[in-house]
Amino acid sequence: MSGAIRVAVDIGGTFTDVVAFDETTGRVWAAKASTTPANFADGVLDALRAGEVEAAAIASFVHGSTVVINAITQRCGVKTALLTTAGFRDVLEIGRGNRPDMYNLKYHKPRPFVPRHLRFEVAERVGADGAVWTPLALNDLEAIAVSCHEAGVEALAICFLHAYAHPEHEQQAAAFLRGRLPGIAVCASSEITREWREFERSSTVVLNAYVQPILNGYLSDLEARLRADGVSAPLFAMLSNGGVATFAASRQTPIAMVESGPVAGITGAALIGGFIDDPNIISLDIGGTTAKCSLIEGGEVKITTDYRMEASPRSSGYPLKVPVVDIVEIGAGGGSIAWFDAGGALKVGPLSAGADPGPACYGRGGVEPTVTDALLITGVLNPDYFLGGRLAVDVELARRAYAPLAARLGVSIAAAAAGVIRVVNEQTIDALKLISVRRGYDPRDFTLVASGGGGPTHAAALMAELGVRRVVIPPFPGAFSAWGMLLTEPRVDRVQTRVLPLASTPPAELERLFAAAETEAIAALTAQGFGAETIPPPRRGLDMRYQGQEHTVEVPVTGSEDLASETLTRAFHERHRQRYTFALDDTPVEIVNIRVTATADMARPTLGTPNAPGNGDPLKGSRLVSFEDQSLPTPIYDRALLPAGFTGAGPAIVEEPSTTTVVHAGQRFAVDALGNLIISAGTERL
Amino acid sequence: MSPSQTTPGASADAFTREVIRNKLLAIAGEMGIVLARTSMSPIVYEVLDFACGITDAQAQVIAQDNGLCLFTGTFTPQVESILQRHPAETMRPGDIFMTNGPYGGGTHTADVALVMPIFAGERLIAFGISVTHWTEIGGKVLGSLSPDSTEIFQEGLQFPQLKLYRAGEINTELIELIRENVRLPQMSLGDLSAGVAAVRIAGERLGGIVARYGLAATLATFGAILDHGEAIARDALGRIPPGVYEAEEIIDGDGITEDPIPVRVRVEITPERLIADFTGSSPQVRGPINCARGALMSACKTLFKAITAPDAPSNEGLFRPLEVIAPEGTVFTAVRPAATGWYYESSAFATELIWKALAPLLPERLSAGSYVSLCAYYIGGTRPNGDYWVQATPQDGGWGAGSDIDGESGLIATTDGDTYNYPAEVIEHAFPLAMERNALNVEAGGGAGRRRGGFGTIREFRVLNPTGGFLLASIGRSVQRPWGVAGGHEGTSNFYEVVRGDGEVVRGGRVTGLPLAAGDLVRVVTGNGGGWGNPRDREAELVLADLRDGYIIAEIAREIYGSDESQETL
Repeated sequence: MSGAIRVAVDIGGTFTDVVAFDETTGRVWAAKASTTPANFADGVLDALRAGEVEAAAIASFVHGSTVVINAITQRCGVKTALLTTAGFRDVLEIGRGNRPDMYNLKYHKPRPFVPRHLRFEVAERVGADGAVWTPLALNDLEAIAVSCHEAGVEALAICFLHAYAHPEHEQQAAAFLRGRLPGIAVCASSEITREWREFERSSTVVLNAYVQPILNGYLSDLEARLRADGVSAPLFAMLSNGGVATFAASRQTPIAMVESGPVAGITGAALIGGFIDDPNIISLDIGGTTAKCSLIEGGEVKITTDYRMEASPRSSGYPLKVPVVDIVEIGAGGGSIAWFDAGGALKVGPLSAGADPGPACYGRGGVEPTVTDALLITGVLNPDYFLGGRLAVDVELARRAYAPLAARLGVSIAAAAAGVIRVVNEQTIDALKLISVRRGYDPRDFTLVASGGGGPTHAAALMAELGVRRVVIPPFPGAFSAWGMLLTEPRVDRVQTRVLPLASTPPAELERLFAAAETEAIAALTAQGFGAETIPPPRRGLDMRYQGQEHTVEVPVTGSEDLASETLTRAFHERHRQRYTFALDDTPVEIVNIRVTATADMARPTLGTPNAPGNGDPLKGSRLVSFEDQSLPTPIYDRALLPAGFTGAGPAIVEEPSTTTVVHAGQRFAVDALGNLIISAGTERL
Repeated sequence: MSPSQTTPGASADAFTREVIRNKLLAIAGEMGIVLARTSMSPIVYEVLDFACGITDAQAQVIAQDNGLCLFTGTFTPQVESILQRHPAETMRPGDIFMTNGPYGGGTHTADVALVMPIFAGERLIAFGISVTHWTEIGGKVLGSLSPDSTEIFQEGLQFPQLKLYRAGEINTELIELIRENVRLPQMSLGDLSAGVAAVRIAGERLGGIVARYGLAATLATFGAILDHGEAIARDALGRIPPGVYEAEEIIDGDGITEDPIPVRVRVEITPERLIADFTGSSPQVRGPINCARGALMSACKTLFKAITAPDAPSNEGLFRPLEVIAPEGTVFTAVRPAATGWYYESSAFATELIWKALAPLLPERLSAGSYVSLCAYYIGGTRPNGDYWVQATPQDGGWGAGSDIDGESGLIATTDGDTYNYPAEVIEHAFPLAMERNALNVEAGGGAGRRRGGFGTIREFRVLNPTGGFLLASIGRSVQRPWGVAGGHEGTSNFYEVVRGDGEVVRGGRVTGLPLAAGDLVRVVTGNGGGWGNPRDREAELVLADLRDGYIIAEIAREIYGSDESQETL
């Protein structure tokens, strides 16, 4: 490691952000370049140049990219085949047979990524208990290899029944086929997920295979170019579980990177929580088309393996059984359009003007009234300071877009704009309640960390109803994902299905199962070059349920002394009561999954040294802003010039190039030592 | 922008209405989450056999969250049935009522409705309702629904608008009565708790809305929601060509005999109304495939919503333009004491009849005929240690082709909705069964057309239980086949088969308590949907692609689709 600069580069839809941290001076800075979809690596190198990061000085490089998700959503992965247990090749097409869009009598499921003629079956069968009912017919694989070769297949996924617990047949088939099909990506489901449900696992391994050659090529290219530029630092990829892995390790399971960008923002929010000494955080990231919310309890981001790619109320989507930070996403962002439905009711979103044509005020041909237009009309946003003045916007175009809506409702344009902002705020509140109140958490125990271009603008308005303690606008809210990546650590999550009756499972048996999962997780980290001494004891958890129930509740397990069935049963009842208001004390409890999370201590930057504010008066001026029922002269501050310790009272607006923070009348705000803007209800002392 | 300031009691402006409307939908959604997650019955939690919602004080549905289409229209008659026995003025905060069965506005005994009056101060303003399918409610067979029942008394407990909670105090005697009269009390009482949790959430959250926005704004929004629903439905109805359209169908047997059961509809469409008249349909039958008026309404509302406002949230206003005519005592309007355990086998045909009458008119919304029947079956028995086990499931099947797209394969029937099939890996952990096959029913052929019907599914289960077990099934459309449109071919029928150890094969549609021996194979096959348009008009490349994927065989490609190239490529 030659230098002292840590960099994180995050590829977004429009921009590629870089955030850098100089360990010697404590300086943190950000820069951006346009995203270059034709070859994403160009944008990465452009961003590094824009940030004036000297290649030789880079001590570590963390990368979040949309390469995986783009290859899937744009259907530009490779030709993929699937091998299944005999009798089950159609599982991928049948799926779960459900119709989420119930009243659509022409509902169609998402198309499988492998057509039927490339779905092969082989004789083999293992029972739920691991008994081999039918041995693997290895000899029959020869013909399948030939068919794959002749069809020009570039990736082959394997999913056998019960391989989540008994992977031997999958391993044998994969080894054989790798030998016969050099140059073809062969992926077995058990290498990616150890949870039951054959359709979900098939879908996961198929998508992994589908993108593996693409990601592989991308990472190789990027690595070569970074090395050619003189970067000698270790290279890490951001994963959807909120951790990182070396480039080498992430190549095998690209599907684990599917949501790496948004997830890093949530990891960032958890780290802010650590800094402000509040382990309970609700993270809100509002972008151009969506708002993403997530809950962090006790400093831990919540991980789920129930992710569904492209799922919506209109489509069941593609399940991916990989650990992804639990995010609720709603179609409400700056570009969201206000409209009337056939019955005359006012709606906002999920339709969005996107980046092109963008809101009406951009003057790029958009004529629909969007949330951003409303923010401009009400004076919340400064027309002369869009993206720090880099984008010219026209308030008149925004007003014109709102005129028909205002006329139809018989209100002024300003009132219509304020009303639309209110509707969007309430939708966001509902989403935030979905992840908190509805799951048994009291928002009063939480701090809201708001990021993205829109989070800081809306957050303070959500405070009162949500009842959160305070709102924090972190540094670099517009490049918050990249900021979060700077601080993440190598992480491996293992979820292993083992259905066991709790009462009759001896602690020693559980200890053995945990130890086995931990050995695997730790091995995955040491294989990436992290010394065993850097790996603290992994965290443990159990997914449990009442016998007969389907859904499980995750219960953290703190140590081996907790493995007694009475202790676990008690902990489960308690969790169940918290989430569902009741517990069934007499009903037997069952273990379904064993969870292990291992991390490696990577020397992480210690933040806390604030950037010295620039010179000058932070008070830029004042303008009239229409809030819901009144217009108020509102002071405008320049965030870059606000020193630590600064305090002020709402109404106030704090501007920075990537976003605008609104503080409402009656609220107060302060700047802390890290440069966070902290907004609190006026009644509370800061 | 303001941090949540509203004047309580102010009449609701467009923005406030939208905000409250969203919150009401969020409540219904939350009720569903609570119910599905806390339920103890596999049929509730995997199959989502439940519904939740809120009605106003007059029993008009304001917000609803359904797992299934079956429940689209029963809330209003169910709440009305409670109001009839317990006038509003006698209700108290903390009361929770329970009702089930066809003669309380519902479907069958196994679907238990919990209804909680919600008050603002002293004033009754709404009802929270949840309906949950209990796996067991007593009666003549395990699972309560025997395909050969002839009276409702054989179908388990009836809860005629009982008070489960009196001002927050639970009626423990009722609980004991249930515990003693069902075979799986832990599961059934778990479902009861889940239903109670769901309606309580409704009370809590609605109270929050009233506190925040005021009673006047809340009630004004109720009215606006209903009017808005009606406006949407009328707008859509105005775009369907007015006229009279008719259809006929045959239901294949009632579970007692295989006699065909003729049913018919006459649909009249005007710009203001859709009138569905089922006069002339068969009288009620002995077997349990009858439905009563609540389920008939649900079936008609499902189709009405599908053709007018499939994306809009359900509320009673939407259905104001719908009128359903049917004399008492038909297979769609059965009267006491008719059995209705398998009511969806007739109610599905009410949906199907209107669908068939209107499909040629509404190609953008309706496809050709599908496999229709829920094809539900129970495989169960007693383990050597004496424990009951039962695997109850509907099976997904083939849907008809659209005018513009091939039919979908392996999709759950119209009566259901976001219903998931069971993974082999879960079944094999829970039950002494081995699933040997889960495949598309490509062998059956059928459903040819310019756009072809989708494929049904084949599931095979080997009985591993040393003491064997039983099969109970009510699989309809086992004789009649799904209809094609505009020259599209008919699809194929549904059936079960049991392959005995000695090779003997038993095949049928509806059966009660067919004994299974260890080693027997149960095969359930669902049919393929009907086609749309002449198969000879199908594009050659699509025929070849189907051939390559094994969806059709060369002979079909040649003889039915008229493909010349199929031989060369093979």
